[in-house]
Amino acid sequence: MFFQYVFNGIAVGMAYALVAVGYSLVFGILRLINFSHGAVYAFGAHVVLLFIGLRYPIWIGILVSIFLTGILGVLIDKFALAPLRKKKSLPIASLITTIGVSYIIQNLLMIFFGSERKSFPNFFDMGGLNLANVPVTSSQLFLFVISLLLLLVLTLIVKKTRIGLAMQAVEQNTKAAHLMGINVNFVITFTFFLGGASAAIAGALMAGYYQLVYPTMGFLVGLKAFAAAILGGIGILYGSVVGGLVVGLSESLASGYIGGTYRDAAAFVILIIILIIKPTGLFGKKGISKV
Amino acid sequence: MKRRGIFLALSILVFALIFVTGAGAAEEKIAKIAVYGPMTGEHAEYGLGFRYATELQVEKWNKQGGAGGYKLEVVVFDDKNNGEEAATIAERVVEDLDVVGIIGSYVSGVSMAATPTFQEAGLVNISASASHPDFTSAGDYIFRNNTVISVEGASTVRGVDKVLGAKKIGLLSIMTDWGRATAAIMTKLIEDNPNLTLVIHEECTDGSDDYSTPIANFKAAGVDAVIIVGMHNTFVPFARQYRQQDPKIGLAAFANLYDDQVLKLGGEYVENTVFPVAYFNESDEPNIVEFRDAFHARAGKNPSSLSAQAYDAAGMICEAIEKTKSNDRAKIRDYVANINYDGVGGEIKFDSRGEAQKVFMVLQIKDGKFVKVD
Repeated sequence: MFFQYVFNGIAVGMAYALVAVGYSLVFGILRLINFSHGAVYAFGAHVVLLFIGLRYPIWIGILVSIFLTGILGVLIDKFALAPLRKKKSLPIASLITTIGVSYIIQNLLMIFFGSERKSFPNFFDMGGLNLANVPVTSSQLFLFVISLLLLLVLTLIVKKTRIGLAMQAVEQNTKAAHLMGINVNFVITFTFFLGGASAAIAGALMAGYYQLVYPTMGFLVGLKAFAAAILGGIGILYGSVVGGLVVGLSESLASGYIGGTYRDAAAFVILIIILIIKPTGLFGKKGISKV
Repeated sequence: MKRRGIFLALSILVFALIFVTGAGAAEEKIAKIAVYGPMTGEHAEYGLGFRYATELQVEKWNKQGGAGGYKLEVVVFDDKNNGEEAATIAERVVEDLDVVGIIGSYVSGVSMAATPTFQEAGLVNISASASHPDFTSAGDYIFRNNTVISVEGASTVRGVDKVLGAKKIGLLSIMTDWGRATAAIMTKLIEDNPNLTLVIHEECTDGSDDYSTPIANFKAAGVDAVIIVGMHNTFVPFARQYRQQDPKIGLAAFANLYDDQVLKLGGEYVENTVFPVAYFNESDEPNIVEFRDAFHARAGKNPSSLSAQAYDAAGMICEAIEKTKSNDRAKIRDYVANINYDGVGGEIKFDSRGEAQKVFMVLQIKDGKFVKVD
């Protein structure tokens, strides 16, 4: 039983990690927690659903969704957040704006798609497997592997590419990066695009895993991924992965050994405990005060 | 000369106004039937089903010239499936003296936030869906055109025993007020049946997406069938996830599964599921055919059993207005309490607690259709 719980937890945890990375990316650059991320994730899943409804193959749906959801991320920044930055408003204003944006997206989805749960094809189901007597579904394995690959790709983008280097520069010191000739606005746009794109992939994967799509699907996942990002140390990519796994495992084990109703609480209890012991999260560094 | 002209014009206008409004007031006597429920949000399909059903019933009466000399109107309120909203709506509804009765809400817990207000103001409330045992105990103005869960649950257990032929039963319940109360009743019903043993009971949050843990536990306990105490937003994902791992597991649930949405969402994964209903669309009875077709034209899908019960609830209030020829709330309540109504859900009578007595049949999903099996 234990291994069964563990595997269930790891599979979902990787998907949380994928969403958590979106929080981390934006936080790294702007020191802003983007609470619209959960709604963006739901948007991504709905775009795929739309294209499946139009009888396109699923991979086209996912590719289009990655692109459109990335654009949505950019639009959120351009229309809701960039004007606030320009006016040098308080950080809390941006934070509340992102919450507002998430409600706008969620309700627009309800208007256009309806509020009910819609079925989504499990596009990566190839039946059950048995790994050392632990029954594992191929969907779980697929969810795990694809999430892992995508996280690797994201890490490579941030660590090894020119734009990634620019992102790191902006993260460390925006003003200095600007003086060195880095186009800070483009870096921010790119970061939001990357965040949106990763949310779209996570949305499609989770929709396929649970075979469900509905407008509020991002709410709880968004909160848990946020917990995962904080847990691992927000702004640190591998921290998000570890955080996602901890959240996934803790909720799976909690629902297994304490009771199904404690599932959603587990992630947040762990979050509180870790923040008490280590306020910056597992891998978080002390904040560098910018002068 | 000019001034006299203006005076004349004004007086004609005044007379005309008095005449027109006076005449209007003489012929328009209005009685309103309120319906409230979740019209937006996750459970919107149920609230909208109640709304369409009520509107169809009222339109039917208005086509025949209204009821008891009153022209009927429907007023709709959205409680967003939230008890606080429901309580506020209740305050507003009881203050509108044209309202003679209210139908709703969807979930027992939400409805029970509003029933004390209806009772205090003396406004008939008929619920088409509440199944919490304590729903009607708010008072003598509160009626339920749905059975208490113990009667419905007994039919679920009958289906599991006779139709599925299962022996070892698992119980999955959502952690709400209703889910807890129902799980307790189901536990007792299963234990009272000599053919069945309850081997495991799991709880989950309402509207959860992930059932991997309860499924793992059910499989480890070796159950033949699982009874799902929840709405179809719990049932369908659970069924899909379970059947993917074990296509042979028996599934059983409650009347709220009787909704085309379940077939559409569940597909092959909900095959052979058994559940009880008091209303079934596949019938030749003219009133059922009329309602089903009208509902389909309005909503684009067949009515669920809950929508049918809302249709009958509205019908009972209409009949009460017709027979008492009044919009007096107390008279309406007395009529409803002693009604013998011939509705789409069969003969409806209320007992002294305001509970409709219903007979259930067992349906099974076969080849993507609802089939009557018992």
